[in-house]
Amino acid sequence: GSPPQALVDDTEDVSLDFGSEEELALRKAKIRHPLATFFHLFFRVSAIITYLFCDWFSNSFVACFVTILLLLSFDFWSVKNVTGRLLVGLHWWNQIDEDGKSHWVFEARRVPTRAASTEAEARIFWLGLIICPVIWTVFFFSTLFSLKLKWLALVIAGISLQAANLYGYIYCKLGGHKSTSRATSGFFVTADVPKRQARRTAEDHTEERGKTGTR
Amino acid sequence: FAGLADVSIAEDIPVEGEITIPVGSHSPDEDYSTLDEPVRDTIVRDLKAVGKKFVHVMYPKKSSALLRDWDLWGPLVLCVSLALMLQGGSADSKEDGGPQFAEVFVIIWFGAVVITLNSKLLGGTISFFQSLCVLGYCVLPLTVAMLVCRLVLLAGSGTVSFIIRLIVVVAMFGWSTLASTAFLADSQPPNRKALVVYPIFLFYFVISWMILTFTPQ
Repeated sequence: GSPPQALVDDTEDVSLDFGSEEELALRKAKIRHPLATFFHLFFRVSAIITYLFCDWFSNSFVACFVTILLLLSFDFWSVKNVTGRLLVGLHWWNQIDEDGKSHWVFEARRVPTRAASTEAEARIFWLGLIICPVIWTVFFFSTLFSLKLKWLALVIAGISLQAANLYGYIYCKLGGHKSTSRATSGFFVTADVPKRQARRTAEDHTEERGKTGTR
Repeated sequence: FAGLADVSIAEDIPVEGEITIPVGSHSPDEDYSTLDEPVRDTIVRDLKAVGKKFVHVMYPKKSSALLRDWDLWGPLVLCVSLALMLQGGSADSKEDGGPQFAEVFVIIWFGAVVITLNSKLLGGTISFFQSLCVLGYCVLPLTVAMLVCRLVLLAGSGTVSFIIRLIVVVAMFGWSTLASTAFLADSQPPNRKALVVYPIFLFYFVISWMILTFTPQ
């Protein structure tokens, strides 16, 4: 009969060199953007913890208020501008064209890049995005019913900022393929933010290449 | 290369052609790196935008920076610093002017929202956030007035200091109102300008009143 050796040779895998060690490690890693993932959660969770334990940190209402407000603002900015792009490839913004009309643009990246996000990152992103506004809503009711009204302004600010990001990203996810987003990114004429334009043009071309299937 | 010495092109043959340079065709790798630009760059860029807007408020002329690239960082910083300066500044305690701090905050933001809604109801073309941005940034002269008032109050709180504070606050109030109407009134039809300017006047008046009547404990 045929020697088993030949069979083994036929079915033996040949290892191909897919790239450098670094790329391989990058592709295998569960979390490719560790810093972005950390900061996505850091500001939100710190704001909640500070709100809950502000009596331990400081006796001053003002210091707690300002700290939590700053944490919420940094969180809003970083989730909107940095972590959304890196972790899930979504981006939303407001742009005002020549006539002074304001457009809200929602963009979803379709072609996965070399270091696209992993499922673990996406899960962390969405969990963080959804759970925190829910917690702030619970705070809203607890503040209202315990009549600690001086905190109400802060809680309302927290809910607005986090809900805005949540809404923006959900809209991106659901409607990112709509033609309106591609059409409005074509309108983009501001000359005084060239970097942002180049970035958007790049995204535009990435999307278009994905559409036509060319590499 | 001797043979090439007499290579020449006849004068009457037009030399032309096409050079196509692929523009904007970033490879996915480059795309990744522009999106992943160091966060420091993004932060610096945004800080510069905020700084530019502060300058535009001090010299109000119709500029697109304040209107088109709106952001709310400036108003946040101004609001927080004004609210900090407007409270007693006493030592840390349970009752250290907490309600006053939140009050200033609510007055400024709620007031700005109401003015914006008013101008939109009157048929203004400016967008919600643009209007908030302009109103927030134009609080800058009043913040400066607050700083000056606190310094003057350190020196004493007699009649002279009151007169100085009055002059400074009235001047800054006028500056704020003029700056914001310069940006906002243009977006209204001509017969409605007064209807839009009046709430802005009231808004800055309330803030100026809070500044003028401030007395440290």
